[in-house]
Amino acid sequence: MIDRRTLLKSAAALGLLGPTHLWAASNRQSIAAESADDLPPLVGKLSVYLGRGEGGLYDDIVAAIEKRNPELELSIRRAPSAALANTLVAEAKAGVSRADLFWSIDASSLGAVAAEGVSRPVPAAIRRHIKPDFRYEAWAAISGRLRTVPYNPTRLDAAAIPDDIMAFADTDLKIGWAPAYGAFQSFVTAMRVLEGEARTRQWLRGVKTQARSYAGELGVVMAVARGEVDLGFANHYYTLRLKQGKPDANVDLALTRNDAGSLVNSSGVLLLNDNPLAANFLRYLLTDEVQSYLAREAYEIPMAPGVALPQGLPERVQPPSLDLTQLADLKPTLDLLRETRVL
Amino acid sequence: MTRTPLSYLPAALAAAAALAPVAVLVWMSVGADLLIDGRAFEIALNTVALTLLTVAGAVLIGVPLAVVTTYADLAFRRVWVAVLAAPLAVPSYLGAFAFFAAFGPGGEIETVAGLATPRAQGLAGATLVMTLYTYPFVLISTRAALQSLDANVVDAARTLGLSLPAALLRIVLPRAANGIAAGSLLVALYTLSDFATPAIMQLDTFTRMIYVEYNAFGLDRAALMSLQLLALVVIVLFFESRVRVRRERPGRILRLPLGNGVKAAALLLAGLVVLAALVLPVAIFGAWLVREGVVGFEPAYALNSAYAALLAAAGAVILALPVAYAASVGWIGRLCERATYLGFGIPGIVMGTALLYLGLRLPLLYQTLTLLVLAYVLRFLPLAVGAVRSSTERVENNLVGAARSLGATPGEAFRRVSLPLILPGIVAAAALVFLEAMRELPATLLLRPTGFDTLATYLWRVYEAGYLGRGAVPALALVVVSGVALVLMLSGEARRRRLTAG
Repeated sequence: MIDRRTLLKSAAALGLLGPTHLWAASNRQSIAAESADDLPPLVGKLSVYLGRGEGGLYDDIVAAIEKRNPELELSIRRAPSAALANTLVAEAKAGVSRADLFWSIDASSLGAVAAEGVSRPVPAAIRRHIKPDFRYEAWAAISGRLRTVPYNPTRLDAAAIPDDIMAFADTDLKIGWAPAYGAFQSFVTAMRVLEGEARTRQWLRGVKTQARSYAGELGVVMAVARGEVDLGFANHYYTLRLKQGKPDANVDLALTRNDAGSLVNSSGVLLLNDNPLAANFLRYLLTDEVQSYLAREAYEIPMAPGVALPQGLPERVQPPSLDLTQLADLKPTLDLLRETRVL
Repeated sequence: MTRTPLSYLPAALAAAAALAPVAVLVWMSVGADLLIDGRAFEIALNTVALTLLTVAGAVLIGVPLAVVTTYADLAFRRVWVAVLAAPLAVPSYLGAFAFFAAFGPGGEIETVAGLATPRAQGLAGATLVMTLYTYPFVLISTRAALQSLDANVVDAARTLGLSLPAALLRIVLPRAANGIAAGSLLVALYTLSDFATPAIMQLDTFTRMIYVEYNAFGLDRAALMSLQLLALVVIVLFFESRVRVRRERPGRILRLPLGNGVKAAALLLAGLVVLAALVLPVAIFGAWLVREGVVGFEPAYALNSAYAALLAAAGAVILALPVAYAASVGWIGRLCERATYLGFGIPGIVMGTALLYLGLRLPLLYQTLTLLVLAYVLRFLPLAVGAVRSSTERVENNLVGAARSLGATPGEAFRRVSLPLILPGIVAAAALVFLEAMRELPATLLLRPTGFDTLATYLWRVYEAGYLGRGAVPALALVVVSGVALVLMLSGEARRRRLTAG
């Protein structure tokens, strides 16, 4: 799906070149984000599989695009990203095709669908508007999200938090997690790739004895703030959003170093056919307007160059060297989660 | 005999359609490895434990309330009976949502009243919720049994020296046992099929794990678990077919002079149950409405629900008519009728899995409204057949014969004699199916066309995203729909009583 050069490039970008480079809009081949005013109007029918819109924020974007394009007939199927990826895989196997594009909050589900060979390459003209380190052939990155360890500062000191994700299994901390959530499953996949299956199994078993499950990661962060657990595993923006509403909430962000615990994942769009409407819809998602909105309101990391980063984003980030397309291998992760009875 | 078994053809068709999902499941699971590992055992154990505990809870609540509302001198007895039967009309997922949001750290009760409560989850939470929404089965069936008992027998026992509690225990309860058993089996059936309550309470039962497998698209494993669940359903149905409610010769109805203490205790129990099952959810949804308003809700969700439900009602009635007719004609017809009852035992999530797979094999149907409506029709056909049959049974041949002998043409006889007699049954059948389909969740989750969200699936989406407050409008709308269903249920009950009395 992905050529060797891209792979090396992103591995280098994620691992070796360091955090500042990661967040900054690179100067190389960087082309400023388009404005929605310059795009062609969207006309006709478009069927979108939307992998878990984040509590209305994605709906707001969809509503804004619909308002601007009254002749767009959008039908959206919403479900957890992994569920939709599996639906698309099953559809591909049965030779059924219903969606024009798949918009997912998680790289692994995009990769899983791309592996079925049903995706169309992202047109080069669109790829130019994505930060160079996140350009993939099979899907277009829309926004970045960082794995973090939200903790409750009234219950424990930052110094008491391991900076190695694998060490959490050996602590007696109370941990909140959301095993059914796609981003969590990607994190486990990353751990599997980086540390191997045996260590991941051991880690899951270890953490499970001290963990409490939540339906989603917003629930995890809220539980941390209430002091129901000491800390949790969640994407960065849940904490930032909670802090926006309640600045004095008892939750801060800790990061691990060079491991799955500080994985940088990406939401993205995969084109499922040659419908030009789908490609143009994707262009809207990469406009300055949508990207700024995602950064400002959803606290996600914009993937279009030149768009301001969200406030409160951790600065010293040391993500693992891992290509996001490796996250596609979800099945063994699900087997592992089931085997350890985490899911 | 002018009757020809022409109705057998559509009836047989309906029966075949009702059997199709099971055939599909068997076909799907052929490739799956039969895993009887610890996990599978645990899921089965959870399912059975939830079912047995719910039955126990429903009996503990339902039987005392039945005794009190049947025999005691209560003020506003009819109101109490109606209110206590009401939770039956409320889909248990509304209760599960409310309990999930109300209890535990950071729950609504703590937020509003500052009271720390334990979280409602796991086996205990699921049992509590399921009990609160299924005990009316026991209440109603036990009341029916108690009403048919002759007070003279109890009086005889008491004159022979038995105390009142002993008389209740040794004379009344054994004779009501079959009624209690019939209610309990319905509770078991309902609990086995329920999807949302174990899912929300995070208890790994068959229904929840079928959904997990569906999300991972382990459809063969989902099918295998569906068959295991169906095996449990068949066991319950077998016992159900063995239970015969005994009818005694009608006698005087027992009136118990209950002490004020007992009466107060009974009213307290009734009050608590109503508070937990009805007041709490409505209060929570109301609070959400005040806090969050109507953000995110689109009227299209309600319209979609109503549209699909309307089609389902029409479809079910059209299929039910020949089945009900065929059943009144001969044994083949009755066999067909029995087959259509299968849908009642097939849990929604199982029906969804089977038809989803069918859709992938017949892409013409995949993600279409037709397939969704078909799922509704197959699931709720028994309701329609039952309602239509109860009215066709009243159309006796001699009535039509009389009309004909008085010079009416067959058309006129149908229009002026048969139709007015059947019509209430048809309307009741359509309304029952409509209201059930409006509230259906699991099969809708799996089968809805893209862009087609209903009240129930929107509520589920809001739950999965963790923004419960946005569920206020759909939840309250579903409460209203349930209220209408209740009124219909009770008026149907009243009509049947009038008919049997008259």
